[in-house]
Order: sequence, then C-alpha cells, then structure tokens
Amino acid sequence: MLNPRVKTDGTGGRAPRARGLKMVALAALALAASLAIAACGGGGIEGSNSEKGKVQTVKVSGKPSGQLTISNWPLYIDKNTVPEFEKATGISVKYIEDVNDNAEFFAKMQPFLAKGESGGRSIFVVTDWMAKKMYDLGYLQNLDKAAIPNVEKNLIPTLRNRPIDPKDQYAVPWQSGMTGLIVREDLAPQIKSICDLFNPKYKGKVDMLTEMRDTVPLVMKCQGVNLAHATEQDWLNAIDKLKSAADSGQIRRFTGNDYARDLTSGDVDAVIGWSGDAIQLQQDNPNIQFVMPKEGCMLWSDNMVIPVGAPNPTAAEAWMNYVYDPKNQAQITDYNYYFSPVKGVQPLLKKTDPTAAKSKLIFPTKQFTAKCDAAPPLSGAEETKVTAAFNAVING
Amino acid sequence: MASSRRRLTPYLLLFPGVFWLVLFFVVPMYYMARLSLDSGTIEKGFEFTWQWSNYSDALTLYKDPFIRAFEYAGAATIIALLIGYPLAYAIAFKGGKWKNAMLVAVIAPFFTTYLIRTYAWQTILSDQSPVTKVLDAIGLAPGGHVLATAGAVIAGITYNFLPFMVLPIYASLERVDPRLIEAAKDLYASSRSAFVKVTLPLSAPGVVAGTLLTFIPASGDYVNAFFLGGTNNKMIGNTIQGLFLTTRDYPAAAALSFVLMAVIMIIVFIYIRFAGSEALMGEEAAPI
Repeated sequence: MLNPRVKTDGTGGRAPRARGLKMVALAALALAASLAIAACGGGGIEGSNSEKGKVQTVKVSGKPSGQLTISNWPLYIDKNTVPEFEKATGISVKYIEDVNDNAEFFAKMQPFLAKGESGGRSIFVVTDWMAKKMYDLGYLQNLDKAAIPNVEKNLIPTLRNRPIDPKDQYAVPWQSGMTGLIVREDLAPQIKSICDLFNPKYKGKVDMLTEMRDTVPLVMKCQGVNLAHATEQDWLNAIDKLKSAADSGQIRRFTGNDYARDLTSGDVDAVIGWSGDAIQLQQDNPNIQFVMPKEGCMLWSDNMVIPVGAPNPTAAEAWMNYVYDPKNQAQITDYNYYFSPVKGVQPLLKKTDPTAAKSKLIFPTKQFTAKCDAAPPLSGAEETKVTAAFNAVING
Repeated sequence: MASSRRRLTPYLLLFPGVFWLVLFFVVPMYYMARLSLDSGTIEKGFEFTWQWSNYSDALTLYKDPFIRAFEYAGAATIIALLIGYPLAYAIAFKGGKWKNAMLVAVIAPFFTTYLIRTYAWQTILSDQSPVTKVLDAIGLAPGGHVLATAGAVIAGITYNFLPFMVLPIYASLERVDPRLIEAAKDLYASSRSAFVKVTLPLSAPGVVAGTLLTFIPASGDYVNAFFLGGTNNKMIGNTIQGLFLTTRDYPAAAALSFVLMAVIMIIVFIYIRFAGSEALMGEEAAPI
C-alpha cells in the first residue's frame, strides 16, 4: 500500500526515561530561581489598609515654587492656562490626562495611597462620590484655606457645604456638569426621556454610560423613584431593567466618552451623556443636541483634591487659587463648556464668547435644572452589592 | 572533558527557552492561580484565603458570555474551514504562476495590525454605511444594522483568523504528491472519490492544525466582540478584560481565565482524540 504520510506530529523520538527526569529537575530548578527573582518584587497588588481616623491638613509654606503634577480628565483644559500659570508663578507643571474613569483611576492609585503615597501627584480631579470615598479611606488631606482666598471668595453658593464635603474642607470643584440625553435630532427627534431609550423602536440604537452613578439613577428616575429616598432595592430594580435591556440588545454598548464615535457615525440615535460633550460634538454636527430628559438630569462635579503624601502642596494650592480667578477660569470654561464653579465667569464670557455666555447648558437657569439631582449616596454594604450587580451587567 | 561538554550542550541549548517560558509563563500562572483564590476588594486589599467560591460565583454570573465565546469561536472556525479549504486547494493545485502572489494576498492583511483592521470593519459596517444599506435591502440586516449583532462578531473573527486556517491547509496540500491523485484516477476513481479518498485524508493534518490555530485564539478573543458586538454579544474575553481593567475584580478575572484555559484544553484534547489522532497519526481514517 502507498502510505506517504507526512510526519507532522513531532514524535521524532523519545528521550530515555532517566534523561527525561533530569530535564524535569532542570526545569524545576529554573522555576525555583525565577520564583526567587519574582519574590523580590514584593507582594504584588495585595495592599494594606492605611490608618484611618485623623485627617492631615496640607502644610503650605513659603512662596510657591518647584514642580507640580496634576492628574485630570482628558480634554478638560485649554492649551494656554498651564503655560500662563507657569509664567505667573515660576512653578513648572506636569499636567497628566490620565483619569478616564473614576473606578479605574482609583484602582491605579490605590496601591500608592494605601502606603501613604500619591504616585508623585499633588492634585487629582475626581467626581464627587470618588472624592468622598477617598476621603473616608483617609487618602486625602484637608486644605489650608488661608492659601486659597480665591476659592473662598469666588466659589458659587450652590457648590458650598455639599453633602460630600459639608465643611468645604478637602474638595474644590474643578467643573460641574449635567448627565442627560444626547440625541441625534435628525435620526430620532422624538426621544425626550430616559424611558424613551427603552422603547423597542430604538432597539440597538442606544448607548449608556459605564459610570454607574450616572446611568442607574437616571433609570431609577424613569421608574418613578424619588432619588432622595432611593433604597438599595430601587438601585437593584433599575439594574434589572438595564440587564434585560442589555440582554435583548436594546442597549448597543456601555461606554465612556467614546459614545462620541457612535453618535457621530449615526450608529446610535441617542446616548446617556455629559453636557459639555454635547456642546463640543454639536460644533461638528449641529444635529447632535443635548436634551434635558423629562425625568430630569444628574448633576455632578469633578473636584480637585490633594492626596496624602502629595509633594509640593504649596504649589498645589497656588494652582487651585489661580484657576479660581474668574479671568483664568473663563478661559477654561470657554474650552470645555461645562458649568463653571467660579462666580463672575459669565460677564467675562459675554465679551469673548457671547454664544457660550448665553448657553443654558453652561449657565443653566434654576428652572432648567429643576428636576435634576445629585447621585444618591450608597452606604458601604449597599455600594458593594449594587456595584457588583451593575458590573455583572456591563461585563456580562 | 570534551564528552562532558557534549553532554551539557542540549541543556545549554534548552536553557534560554526554558528560562523564558518559566519566567513568563509558569511564574505568571502561579500568581494568577493564587490570585484566583484571593478574597477582598481593591480598596481593602486582597488576601489569599483559598476562596474557591470565586470560581463558582464567576461562572454563575458570567455563564452567558462563556457559552457565547465557544459558540462564536466554533461558528467562526467552521466558516473559516469552509472558506479556507477551497481557497488553499485552489492556491495549491490551480495557482500556477500566481501561487506566490495569492499566498501574499492571504498574508497581506497581517501587515496591518489586527486592531486597526477590526476598527476598519466597524466603519465599513456602521449603520449609515452603503454596505449596511445594501445588506438591509436584501434582507441580511435584520433591524437595519449589522454592527452589534452576533453575525458581525462571527464574521469579524472569521476574517481575522482566516489566514491561520488557510496556511496550514495549504502547507499540507502543497505536499500532496500529484502522482497519487493520478494513480487514483488510473484506478478508475472519479474526481470526487479521488478527492475524498486521497487528497482530503492527506490534507487532514493541515485541517486539524488550522482548526486549532483558529479555534483556540478565537475563543479567548475580545477585540472583535468589543468593536463589532453589542451588549448581548460579549464573549468571555470581554468579561475578563472588564473585570481586570475596569471593575478590578482581580480574583474573579483570574478564576475565569483559568476556567477558560481548562475548557479550551479539554475541548482540544477531545478533538485531537477523535479527529486529530486519526488524521495526524493513522491511515485508518480512510479505509479503502
């Protein structure tokens, strides 16, 4: 018989047993050696808890100078503010845009913070709930208010004595904004409410945010929950609704800022998104509009905070003070189009950018945001349970 | 002296490879295994407590993407085989002077990164694109969109892994001695039976290698489902990525990775047992 089988299986020959054993021994030796090398690297990601209780206060001393490292979200500052600050103060700034998601940033910083270090950064910019979480874990310092007179003077009243920071001790708002609907008016002009996003007519044409405290409370609002009295069960009910919408393909994707792509390409009709993004996207495509949901919106602030072990806190407070000068602030607001936490910005913008000064998305009236709320707080045990349920939806 | 050196040579030759594998495979595996049995959260830190429930919890929670991963990878492998075999056959036997050019064409997509190519598909298949409009018109895009469907993910995987199917099959077809087929025909075999009884069995090792090279990476893939899928098309790779990078539930992610590895190994083992051993080792596969 003809059997010209090609040998491809690599069983070319077998080592005698003794030699095989020796090889195993050699491999074991190499393993032991590399384990020893790896062991020098320390305990991996398993971190210890920092001491809780007493909160340090920032120690400001002398004239601000030296180097300052700031972590902020992308596209949150114009090109001129940093160089102008450097020129005015002589401080050299390393401005890093490495916050894309609160939970992700926390996970990145946590190993440092647990050891009382800040990863070289002097300022983080994080959303309300994350600021509070870090503060409660003892990862943040109280501020020296004497060094930030502009904040004291110019912070708008609605952002003073907030539940996350009742005595205004540690968090200085960077910008605030609304979470609501961003709609392609040319594709789906009838979308006016969060509930509309669950209409089968828009199946697969809707994105929602991976940021739990934006998406879930809005869905609760659609379900008629009063957020002031939201219970754990209310959160879980809303998450159930999200789960069935995700399973059926009603929701196309859970995203961060990258919903911008889906809106621009017309892959989705509407998303749950952030007000500043809506204005920025609208400049390229006038059909993209921020729509205040019938149920109301979510209000939030991103806050500058000073972590424990932050180098050069003097320069950090100088930065906070600098951006709270209305003139400097107007420049930032005119770039990112979020709400400014600083008094006196609107009159300045009237001169430089009248359209922005008139926009109710940047300077909302009380009436416009009447039905809007801040994300309801979650206690430790609730948070663990609710977060796990939400994560199962966005990862599953 | 010389003889002892000669005895050491194979070990010295082995050393770089073994060291590399130990350092970058065994050690990470050890840490992953340990991590998968940790308890705790990212805030409170993780602690090694033999938390076996990580496995059952993760599997209960993420059963759907798990099953989906194997369904999609299986479907893509079968489609890739159906497309890849005729393609490899045509190149090997009918390619003529175009053989090399055709091979280059198969490999050419590799010159662009996988990520960019998949991203390009996202644009090509986007809801407002002419391609989608045409597909919709002929009834191939239920609901008016192709993106964010199982079909798009499977098509993406098939496209991305097709060369892994074609090349091994081509290699084994290339080595088939044409005289064997001539001999079969001389013995009054029809073209069809010559193919079934001679060519196909001889190319079986390529088919086995191709299916494995496609199926294994495809079941752990997350790029295609990320770019081309929707919320109900997530594969287990997406889940593991999300758990590692966003949720930071390292133990659950590590546990899922291990289960994925184990299931792939079991599937591959069974496959090789039933299909592979005959194709790779024995001639009994095609009794005449």
